[in-house]
Amino acid sequence: MSEPLIPDLPEDEAFAAEHALGVLNAGERAVAELRMARDPAFAAHVEAWRHRLAPMLAAIAPVEAPAGLWPRIERGLPANDNDGRGVKFWRGWAMGGMGLAAASMAAVVVLATRPPEMIAPPTPGQLLNARLDTSGGQHLFVAAYDPVREKLIVTSLVAPGTDPVHVHELWLIPADGKPRSLGLIAPGTSKTLPMPQGLPALTTEGASIAVSVEPPGGSKQDGPSGPVAAIGKLAKI
Amino acid sequence: MPATSAIDPLTELMPRIAAGDRAALRQLYQATSAKLFGVCLRILSNRDESEDVLQEVYITIWRRADRFEAGRASVMTWISTIARNRAIDRLRARGPLAYAEQVEELEIDDGMPRADALLEAAQDGEALGKCLSELDERTEKVIRTAFFEGVTYEALAARMEAPLGTVKSWIRRGLAKLKGCLES
Repeated sequence: MSEPLIPDLPEDEAFAAEHALGVLNAGERAVAELRMARDPAFAAHVEAWRHRLAPMLAAIAPVEAPAGLWPRIERGLPANDNDGRGVKFWRGWAMGGMGLAAASMAAVVVLATRPPEMIAPPTPGQLLNARLDTSGGQHLFVAAYDPVREKLIVTSLVAPGTDPVHVHELWLIPADGKPRSLGLIAPGTSKTLPMPQGLPALTTEGASIAVSVEPPGGSKQDGPSGPVAAIGKLAKI
Repeated sequence: MPATSAIDPLTELMPRIAAGDRAALRQLYQATSAKLFGVCLRILSNRDESEDVLQEVYITIWRRADRFEAGRASVMTWISTIARNRAIDRLRARGPLAYAEQVEELEIDDGMPRADALLEAAQDGEALGKCLSELDERTEKVIRTAFFEGVTYEALAARMEAPLGTVKSWIRRGLAKLKGCLES
């Protein structure tokens, strides 16, 4: 080779670049997504690479979208959860600067398309349900709360075995904005969690459920110690 | 991307969408759905799946418009990146070796865009195009294929009949060179 020697990208950045380019397989994509949620330097690498590659998007020719799609989208619009003090607080605290990290997602589409109803107990009409999204809107967890039984049913859509050195801790963030721990959930599993005392009254429509990435055993402090990987609001089904 | 917000008429829609204004989302849809459908179709080559993904993408935009930062990217880049990622997720759901059979009637153009088609400031597109063309032909092709088709290393290796590690090293080295060129 007559070309000058170009140093390799550092491993972290190479992995970020591969994620931005889109060559990672499903499991690796999930790892990259979770890493973006807890590692701002890594997220910044991914964003920088998306920025570098973005001009190629201009080469893709527009194709008119099918007629009738807009009404379907409009019918499917959930309540916009961009307001709400508790959630704003959390975003500022835990997700600040994630920016374009938003545009990404973990590789859990197959599972994520499973309707939450499948895990809901048979008390229709009463249930509250939440989809917990990453900053990019990828669904990583689904939750359903049964106010009659005072139980929260949670399913993790994260690929089993992802990021074995951390755990995922669930939090309820009621109207007062103060997070209350609900316990841990392993990747790829479903769990029924009895609500700790005092919390059923706070588990109302509009309260948020969040998952933070924590060291083994969960957060040692009163509130999350690691970044929030996913968050969503409880709404009536 | 820098300084595109001042001339980007879509930017003012984002705070309205974040505030729950459906008319603003509709305006964004009218202005951008053809582009995003093109992006989904480019990766998936399947109209039904692309339609599903497009629907998810606008719902994601609706829920996440407050995360848009005007100083960092144009609206079109931001939402196109969301669409591309969603489409890749859908492609992955087909399995690790999945790649779309190319649909010929789409007449996909993998070349760099004409100046009038650029989403970003013209210099960005030109710089990337120039730097890609400075890579050796095989590396340029494999990086473009990866970007436009959203396929895995595994699928690229199978298609190019080359060992996985070799393809990986072509791409990693190519990306390192690309970065060096873009920064020079």
